[in-house]
Amino acid sequence: MAVASLPHGAAGHDGVDQLYADTRSLRLQGMLLFLVSDCVLFSSFIFAYLYMRNSGQGWPPPGISRLDVAFASLNSVVLFGSGATMHYALENWKHNNFNRYAMFMLATIVLGIGFLSGQGYEYTQLIYKEHVTWAGSGIFGASFFTLTGMHGFHVSVGVFYLIILFLQSIHGVYTKDKYFGLTAGTLYWHFVDVIWVVLFSIFYLI
Amino acid sequence: MLVENRAAAASLGRGFWTVTAVLAVLSVIGIIYWVIAPLDTVMPIVAAQPGEQVDALLRFMAASGTALFIFVGGYLIYFSIAFRAKASDGPDAIGVQVHDNHVLEFWWTLIPTIFVALLSVLSVRIWYQIQVAQPPNGLVVESLGHQWYFTFRYPQINGEVTGEMHLPINQPVVLNVTSSDVIHSFWVPAFRLKADMIPGLINTIRFTPTRVGRYPIICTEFCGTDHGMMNAQVPGENGKPNPSAQWLVVDTPTDFQKWYHGWQVRNANVSNALPTTTGTVNLAGGDATAGQALFAQKCSACHALGPFSQRIVGPGLKGVLHDPSHPNLVDGDPATPANVATILEKGFTGDLGHMPDATQNGLSDKDIANLVAYLNTLK
Amino acid sequence: MSATAVHAGGIADHIHPEPQGFVRRYIFSIDHKIIGIQYLITGFVFLILAGMLAEVIRTQLLQANGGFVSPDVYNEVYSMHGSSMVWLVIIPLITGGFGNVIMPLQIGARDVAFPWLNMISFWIFPVAGLMLYSSFLIGAPVAGWTEYPPMSLQAGPGTSMWAAAIFLIGVSSTLTGINFVVTMYQMRAPGMTFTRMPLFCWAQLATAPLLMIATTALAAALAALFMERQFGVPFYDPTKGGSPVMWQHMFWFYSHPAVYIMVLPAFGMISEILPVFSRKPIFGYKMIAFSSMAIALLGFMVWAHHMFTSGLAPYLQLPFMILTFLIAIPTGVKIFSWTATLWGGKIHFTTAMLFAVGFVGLFAFGGITGVFLAAVPFDWHVHGTYFVVAHFHYVLVGGSLMGIFAGTYFYFPKMTGRLMNETLGKWHFWLFLIGFNGTFLPQHWLGMLGMPRRVPEYDPQFQFWNDVSSISSYLMTFAILLFFINVLYSIRNGKKSGPNPWGGRTLEWQIPSPPHYYNFKHIPTVYGLPYNFGQPLPYKGLEEELTDSPVHVGAH
Repeated sequence: MAVASLPHGAAGHDGVDQLYADTRSLRLQGMLLFLVSDCVLFSSFIFAYLYMRNSGQGWPPPGISRLDVAFASLNSVVLFGSGATMHYALENWKHNNFNRYAMFMLATIVLGIGFLSGQGYEYTQLIYKEHVTWAGSGIFGASFFTLTGMHGFHVSVGVFYLIILFLQSIHGVYTKDKYFGLTAGTLYWHFVDVIWVVLFSIFYLI
Repeated sequence: MLVENRAAAASLGRGFWTVTAVLAVLSVIGIIYWVIAPLDTVMPIVAAQPGEQVDALLRFMAASGTALFIFVGGYLIYFSIAFRAKASDGPDAIGVQVHDNHVLEFWWTLIPTIFVALLSVLSVRIWYQIQVAQPPNGLVVESLGHQWYFTFRYPQINGEVTGEMHLPINQPVVLNVTSSDVIHSFWVPAFRLKADMIPGLINTIRFTPTRVGRYPIICTEFCGTDHGMMNAQVPGENGKPNPSAQWLVVDTPTDFQKWYHGWQVRNANVSNALPTTTGTVNLAGGDATAGQALFAQKCSACHALGPFSQRIVGPGLKGVLHDPSHPNLVDGDPATPANVATILEKGFTGDLGHMPDATQNGLSDKDIANLVAYLNTLK
Repeated sequence: MSATAVHAGGIADHIHPEPQGFVRRYIFSIDHKIIGIQYLITGFVFLILAGMLAEVIRTQLLQANGGFVSPDVYNEVYSMHGSSMVWLVIIPLITGGFGNVIMPLQIGARDVAFPWLNMISFWIFPVAGLMLYSSFLIGAPVAGWTEYPPMSLQAGPGTSMWAAAIFLIGVSSTLTGINFVVTMYQMRAPGMTFTRMPLFCWAQLATAPLLMIATTALAAALAALFMERQFGVPFYDPTKGGSPVMWQHMFWFYSHPAVYIMVLPAFGMISEILPVFSRKPIFGYKMIAFSSMAIALLGFMVWAHHMFTSGLAPYLQLPFMILTFLIAIPTGVKIFSWTATLWGGKIHFTTAMLFAVGFVGLFAFGGITGVFLAAVPFDWHVHGTYFVVAHFHYVLVGGSLMGIFAGTYFYFPKMTGRLMNETLGKWHFWLFLIGFNGTFLPQHWLGMLGMPRRVPEYDPQFQFWNDVSSISSYLMTFAILLFFINVLYSIRNGKKSGPNPWGGRTLEWQIPSPPHYYNFKHIPTVYGLPYNFGQPLPYKGLEEELTDSPVHVGAH
């Protein structure tokens, strides 16, 4: 058993002392890789949008007015705010402050629902007032509604996920030291925020 | 006790060098073959410049590829035979325990890199000849792909030419292609060139035919049920002629003039209207004066009344319905009254630009008829 | 075991209780070995279906004027043949199949990182396959496996089913990719640094990011096509402002890495088989590992070499051409290294070895014609012709499929405890080699001389070589039939193989055949590369694996 009985270059010299990475490390890497692949999904549609937008006709195309940057900015603040509350929710969990965690978690969920409502309002304005629709407004409608719709879908899934996490946390599924589900939820929620930064910039700012 | 094949480690045996010499000789033969042999077993006769350069590229690649494959295949076979485990070896016999050889690996990385560099230089030069360095004043011909036939437009021939495409020998040609429906591809194997015919954009190939003759035109992008029939060399079904078979004929200048004049006469009374358009606007009774007022109000922001090249947003519209060398409309269709009416009505957005539709411009059907009548007066 | 080992409670480091009941053991199993075999069985079933489609193609092409099936049916047949072979045969067999069975064993793990996800990944596969084949009932896709719009916008309902089915199988691929990356990063046995990892695992490690990243890009393209066809949302239709060329960019951005997904694991297989049957180390281990990564990376940068005739801007054509040429260098390094592995060996020509050596030669040939295609001026002549068909069949059939055959003969004993029949195997190899070359070699000059692809009728002057191709294909199919007979026969009647019939040195050969559900009684420690024949094995802790010593649930 002594190291001396093993030929030159035995384990212990070469680095891997730990038997396996623990469960949390595996799940964290898995979650991050999943978010990477989700990024690729958005990136592909973003490529499509930029490619089509670059086809030389001016943007927005004739007959379509510019998007409402002011309202979208407000809505973005709601979403970014929910990112902040999510961060604090997790921090409070780690420090065992359940009540503050619950407050921030619920705030996140409410802000998320608020963002979705804002999106819904913007959609109704576009569709019924401006007559800009998904299929009937050329590549403008196609790219805008597809990308923001995909993002909204991800936010909706995120809201459901956070609700489930919250209920789980109430039922004691997570402890002070083992709370990977909450970490995963936080990562996902921040991911959704980052995607929105990109979408907001490319649809409203440029 | 594992018995290592140490003998092999001492030096590369005589067998190895003999085989290497044989492979080298075979490679040289292969290279010589590809350099000097006629290519007619693998390529059709070449009938345009710079098609010959493509053949030169093929010779280079085939020669080097043959040499490489002879060596790789040859060594694979030789090693498989020479180092086969013999019955007398016993179950513990092992091969020479060599892991790598940095010198060898260095050379077999460097030499392919050099080869790739050479091939790149050669390919770029030939690419340049074909894509960039073509004579400036070519005969501009257009071809439109359809399911399942090609049509052509020539300067000073009204309407479209169907059936055979003729070109004069030794005259540089600029061929613009697009499609009226799905993606097709215009390939003349004898010219070594093809371009995809994609609706919404125009692709261009440039060449100079150098040999009188008849050459098949072949569609090489799947376009539906009769894609296989869009090929001059495919016979028709049940002994009947293939309606989609079309040839590219390279003529002497005299013969070309005869053919060309024939089509001018044949299409003299063709008003550039095409059966492919399905405009719903009734163009009869369009009032050119009212159209002129409309033009000033709605179109002049983007279109000048000057030549095509005089662009504001869209091109100049002088002679749009009368000048045979006027390029096609932004949607790829030739400039006929019916097609212009269709674009005014439906609009178009694509790689070449955006034409607003009637709703966006606020045009009634009568307005469209008047505008077309006005454009028809621009000569 | 080293006194400093930390048992941190990883997912698969302890031995769990054995699953009970037929359904949990063999249907909804989370055991990577069972899942891998499920992938192999399903993939081989689709190989038979897609192969039959191929023979419909070759039978149609026996006559210049066709006549076996109508052109519309023919177009469905070749579109489904290509789609099946790529997504339902090669990719699942080579990643989900062999990757799952072998990789965790080779790294000394008890399973993959996410066994439940692995099971879900598998079960998506037959469902997606059934979805795809059901399109025959409503009018299968007709525009090839590439489905270029506007043709694919025009075609019947089956194209939407195709898009949905491929999207679904893409989810399976992506999840497998994530699973494999995490497994290889974090679950290698103690002492197994990356530079001691077997080359098959290196190949899977290079492939897994492609599965993860490239497949998602295809998902976007497919989703857009589906939305346009079903809901009229304009992406690709030029009359509504879309762009057919955009589809080509999005499709090929995935589909070029996809061909490396299909071949890199086969490279890994060859790198395992050649040393074992030459009884010497793989030549140039580091260069082979590194070149797999280089090929995977470069593979993301060359997609537009499929679009040289589509009207790419001239300044774009050249970089894609040169980057494609560059891939020849790491690939060449591999071919030379494999050839050098044979030199000075003591070579045993089992069927697996025959297929491995055949792979090297045939893939080299296909790779060379790939370089031809990369040269833009030559591509302008042969794009869309049978030259391209010849090229990709050399690398995918002479390459990937032969790699799959080699892997089956090699790993069948590990999975079943029995050897496949060597006589039948050799007949399979030689008949396949002759049939394959007869089928695809003439297609090179058929293409150059003027035969386009995707045609149900052709110029009668090409009939002779088409007949050579078709008759040879029947020979190739017969050889594959021998393979399946061999597999089915050997499951029950094959000679018992014992744990290590080939004298392999990687970890999977140091445990019983088939392995126990827990793989290893004790996770071994690794202190060297597994390719030094004549040395003691570079492992510690394997003493009990081949004994009857009892196993304790909870042990590690």
